[in-house]
Amino acid sequence: MSTALWLAVIASALGTLLIRVVPFLWMQRRLGSDTGLNSIPQWISILGPLMIAAVLGVSLVPVNPGAVSWGATAIGLLVTLLVWQRVRSMGLPVAAGVAVFGLVLVGVTLAG
Amino acid sequence: MSHVSARSALKGVREAIPLLGGYIPVSLSFGLVATQAGFTTWEAAAISLLIYAGASQFLFVGMVAAGSPLWLVIALTLLINIRHVVYGPNLAAWLPPSRHWLWLMHGLTDQVFALAHTRLPQLREAERFGWFLGAALLAWVVWIAGTVVGATGGEALTARWPLLGEIMPFALPALFLTMVAPRFTDKRWALALGCTIASALFFTLYGWSNVAIPLAAACGAICFYMVKFHPGKNVL
Repeated sequence: MSTALWLAVIASALGTLLIRVVPFLWMQRRLGSDTGLNSIPQWISILGPLMIAAVLGVSLVPVNPGAVSWGATAIGLLVTLLVWQRVRSMGLPVAAGVAVFGLVLVGVTLAG
Repeated sequence: MSHVSARSALKGVREAIPLLGGYIPVSLSFGLVATQAGFTTWEAAAISLLIYAGASQFLFVGMVAAGSPLWLVIALTLLINIRHVVYGPNLAAWLPPSRHWLWLMHGLTDQVFALAHTRLPQLREAERFGWFLGAALLAWVVWIAGTVVGATGGEALTARWPLLGEIMPFALPALFLTMVAPRFTDKRWALALGCTIASALFFTLYGWSNVAIPLAAACGAICFYMVKFHPGKNVL
């Protein structure tokens, strides 16, 4: 890489780090201040869960979208949800969901 | 680092393992794409080490390979990552003050945020710093290692196990589903979350994946503020 390209990498890296760290430090200072500004604005606390829901929506699209992969996604999500309703934790539902998703995908591929 | 106990860091490492189902295939792909775009293995690894933001890294190498002006490459890389501004404030109340956040927040990706936002409130205060350290470091190290493997042998790997690259990423939607499901507490939240998931899916399917997360969250927020239920009818 040329020097200019290295500088572009460093500028992008520093900018991304600042985007992540400055609002965090600003909020920690605000929470710890004596001026009464010690609560998180409502719009920020609402955006938190919505961002996670958005990441879920984006990740739903299979690597190779098609009838089989969409079907496997629906079945995998259903199994994940059913196991989660039973155990209310993360590890087991994720493992069960991936296993069923993989079985459906491999099963249909082998059958076809 | 007085807040760190090995046990809480290991807990963070253990709980971040499902994230790797998404990190490994995507970092392998990034390594492969970067070398195909003319970067060496170590340059691709340096990009993963320093920028550490999936979508914007793909955009960065793609634009550089296409000969775009570097100021535009930097501007668009940062524009894609601007959604991260709301992540830190949402975690601030649960993490102890420390000078180490200056570098540790480098690990605050979409996935680490989602996991931390769900798990930190459930942990004891003394565990939280170590937990975040363990979870963030595991994800970062695996991302860099995946880039190196993808750059050196990605083509051979995907040719040998073609289905693995399709199955492993399902760990991400499965994990996020377990994080979102408990938040369906009433009709108002259910509608806002449902609207967000549907619009993120829509934007991604129609090729707007780079801006899908902030746009979908904005749609959900509009839904949350616009639609209100009578107190008696808000229960699911």
